[in-house]
Amino acid sequence: MNWKKIFAVVRREYVERIRTKAFWIGTLAIPILLMGFIGIQIAVARRAGGDHRVAVVDLTGNLFVPLSEQLAESEAKQKKEGPSKAIHWVLEQRPLTGDLATTKEALRKEVVAKKINAYLILDPAQLAKDRVEYYSTTVSEFAAMNQLESAVNHIRLRRKIADRGLPGALAADLERRIDLKAFRVTATGTAEEKGAGIIAALVFFFLMYSTFFMYGYQVMRGVIEEKSNRIVEVIVASVRPTELMLGKILGIGLVGLTQYAAWSLIAANLSLPGIATAMASSEMGVPRIPASMVGFFLLFFLLGYFLYASVYTAIAAPFNTDQEAHQLAMIPMFMILGGIAVYPAVMNNPSGGIAVFFSLLPFTAPLTMFLRTALSEPPAWQILVCAVLLVATTIGMAWLAGRIYRIGILMYGKKPTIPEIVRWIRYTPGKGAQPAVAETT
Amino acid sequence: MSMDHTIELKNVSKFFGKFRAVDDLSFDVPRGTVFGLLGPNGAGKTTTIRMIMNITAPDSGQIRILGKPLDRATQNQIGYLPEERGLYRRMKVMDHLYFLAAIKEVPRETARSRIADWVDKMELRPWLNKKVDALSKGMQQKVQFIATIIHDPEILILDEVFSGLDPINTALIKDYLLDFRSRGKTIVFSTHVLEQAEKLCDEICLVSKSRKVLEGSLKDLKRRFSQGLLRLSVGASPADVLAMPGVASCQMMNGFYIVSLNPGTDRRAFLRQMMDRYEVAAFSDKEPELEEIYLSAVKAAGLEETRTVD
Repeated sequence: MNWKKIFAVVRREYVERIRTKAFWIGTLAIPILLMGFIGIQIAVARRAGGDHRVAVVDLTGNLFVPLSEQLAESEAKQKKEGPSKAIHWVLEQRPLTGDLATTKEALRKEVVAKKINAYLILDPAQLAKDRVEYYSTTVSEFAAMNQLESAVNHIRLRRKIADRGLPGALAADLERRIDLKAFRVTATGTAEEKGAGIIAALVFFFLMYSTFFMYGYQVMRGVIEEKSNRIVEVIVASVRPTELMLGKILGIGLVGLTQYAAWSLIAANLSLPGIATAMASSEMGVPRIPASMVGFFLLFFLLGYFLYASVYTAIAAPFNTDQEAHQLAMIPMFMILGGIAVYPAVMNNPSGGIAVFFSLLPFTAPLTMFLRTALSEPPAWQILVCAVLLVATTIGMAWLAGRIYRIGILMYGKKPTIPEIVRWIRYTPGKGAQPAVAETT
Repeated sequence: MSMDHTIELKNVSKFFGKFRAVDDLSFDVPRGTVFGLLGPNGAGKTTTIRMIMNITAPDSGQIRILGKPLDRATQNQIGYLPEERGLYRRMKVMDHLYFLAAIKEVPRETARSRIADWVDKMELRPWLNKKVDALSKGMQQKVQFIATIIHDPEILILDEVFSGLDPINTALIKDYLLDFRSRGKTIVFSTHVLEQAEKLCDEICLVSKSRKVLEGSLKDLKRRFSQGLLRLSVGASPADVLAMPGVASCQMMNGFYIVSLNPGTDRRAFLRQMMDRYEVAAFSDKEPELEEIYLSAVKAAGLEETRTVD
C-alpha cells in the first residue's frame, strides 16, 4: 500500500465530487424538502380548522339538535386551546325526499358540487347495530371524524344514563380515560418519552438508509465510468488496483461525511428551531438528539458504507455500462432493503429475537443495530459482536471485490457471465491460466 | 543481466484460458533506443506490454526492468500510454495533469513547472481551465501524451501510440520521441503499422501468433535480408525472369523488377546469366522494406499468417 498514491486518488474523488452541482443541490435540496414536508404537515394540521358543512338526515328525529349542541360545545372548547385548530361545524338538517336512496343520491351530487363537505345518515336501524354512516369525498379527515364520532357516542351515553334514571353527572365520569405516560429506562436513569426521540431516531434511520444507496451507487458509477472512459489502464500503471479501489471508496465516503456535516449545520441553524417549536406545541415534545445517537449513527454509517461500497465495487468491475450492472445491483439493494423490511419488528421489540438476529447478520446489521441503539440499550457485547462481524465481512467482501476488480477493469467488450466472474475470483497469478474473456489482447 | 538493458524478458509465457497469448518470449531492450514491438493485431503485443507494466502477471518466465523485477520505484520511472486510453471527461485539464503527476509521486511544485512547460510546447494553455469534455480529440491526445511524460520517465512504453492520432499530432509526437531518445531515454512502442516503425525504430522485435519471429537492430536486419534482393531494369517478361535459376519471386515496382533470390544463390552468377540472355539496363541492391523482412521471416519460421499484415 502506497498511501501517497491512495491519498492522490482520495483527493481526486473528493474534490471532483464536492465541486459538482449535483452535490450542492443534494446538500441544499434535501433539508429544504424535509423542511417543506414538515411545514406542509404542520400547515395541514392547522388548516384542519375552517368551515365543515355537513348535511344531516336524521331518521330518528331526535338526534340532530343534541348533535349540533355537542359539536358547538367541543368547538368552543377547542377555540380556548388554540383558535386555529378548531373545526367550525355547520350542520344542515335535511328531510327525506322520496326514499332514502334518492335522498342519498341528491346529497351525493351536492358533495360532488362542493355545496357541502359531507353528509351523515342517522338511521335507527343502523344505530341499533352501533353504526352511523358518514359520506365524504375524503374519509381521512380524522380530526373531524373523531369529533363527530365522540359527539354521537356522548349523546348516546347520556341518553342511556337518563333512560336508566341514573344521575347525569355520571356521563362525564364514565367518559374519563387514562393517559399512559411512557418513560424510557436507561442505565443512567429514566426520561419521559413523548415520541420525539423515536421520530429523531427514525429520521436518522431513513437518512442512513438513503445515503447507503446514494453513496453505494456513486461508487458503482465511478468504477464503471473509469472503464467506459478508458482511463483505468492509465491509472493502474501507477496505482495498484486495490489502492485505486480503496482510494475511491474512502473519497466517496468522505463526501458522504461532508454532506452530513453540511446537513447538520443547516438543520441546526434553520430547520430544527422551526421543527422544535412545531413539535413542542404538539403532544410529542421537543426532539432531543443525544450524543450517543450521533456517535452510533456515524459508526454504523461508516461500517455499513464500507461493506456496501465493496459489494458495489465488485458488481461494477466486470461491466462497461450502468445498464449491464443493474441486474446485479439488486444484490446490495436487497441487503440494504433487508434493514428496512425488519424495522417494524425492531420498533415493536428492539430487544426481541428478530431484532437481535438481524442486528448481528452483517448485511442488515448497520441499519438494524443503529435503530436498536436509538430505541433501547442493547448489551455491549452485541454491539461489539455486530461491529466485529461487520468489519470481518467487509474485509472479506473487499478481498472478493479486489479480485474481481483487478481482472474486470481491463475487460472491455463482451459482458462476462457469472461463472466467468467466479473464475476471476479463483484465479491466482502464477497458478494456472488467467480466465479467458473475449478481447483481452 | 546488465544495466545496458532497460527491459529484459526471459522465456515469458501467458495463457488466457486455453489460448496462448504469449509463447516463450524473450527480448532485451537496449538503453537509449527506440524499440519496436511489431506484429499484426492479436499477436500478443498488448499482453506483453501489460505484463511489463505488471498489470497482468506472466504464467512463466521473468521480466526485469532496469535490472530488477518491477517495483514501486521502477514503476514511477516508466511512462505508459496504453492502447485503451482516455481521460476523466469532467475534470479540468490542469487538475487532470496534476492528478496523473500525483499518482507518479511527482511533487506538486515540480509538476507545476513541467505542466507549464509542456502546455506551452503543445499550445494547450488556453485549454488549461476547460473540462476535458470541451477538448477536441486531438487536444485530448496531447493531454494524454503530456500525462505520460509528466514524471520525466526513463522508459516510455507506448501501445499503438499513433492509432487515432491526426497527422499533425503524429508528426509532433514523433519529434518528441526522437528528442527523448537523444536524451538517453528508452522508448518501447508497439504497432501493427510497419511503415511507422521503419521510420522510428533502432531495434525491433517481430511477433506473430504469440511467438517471436525476429529480433535485432533494424540496420543489421536490413543488411541481412537485402542479400537476396535485387532491383533490375531488364528487357524480359516476368515469366522469363521467374524462369531464371535461383529466382524465388519477382514483382514489378515503379517500372523495375524486384527479384528475390533463393537463399544460397550466387548473385554474381545470377547477374552474369541474366546479362547473357537479356538486355540489362540497370541493376542495384534493393534494401528490403520492413514488411518484406517480416513476411520472409514469418515464412522462414513457418508461422505464415492467414491474415494479411494491414
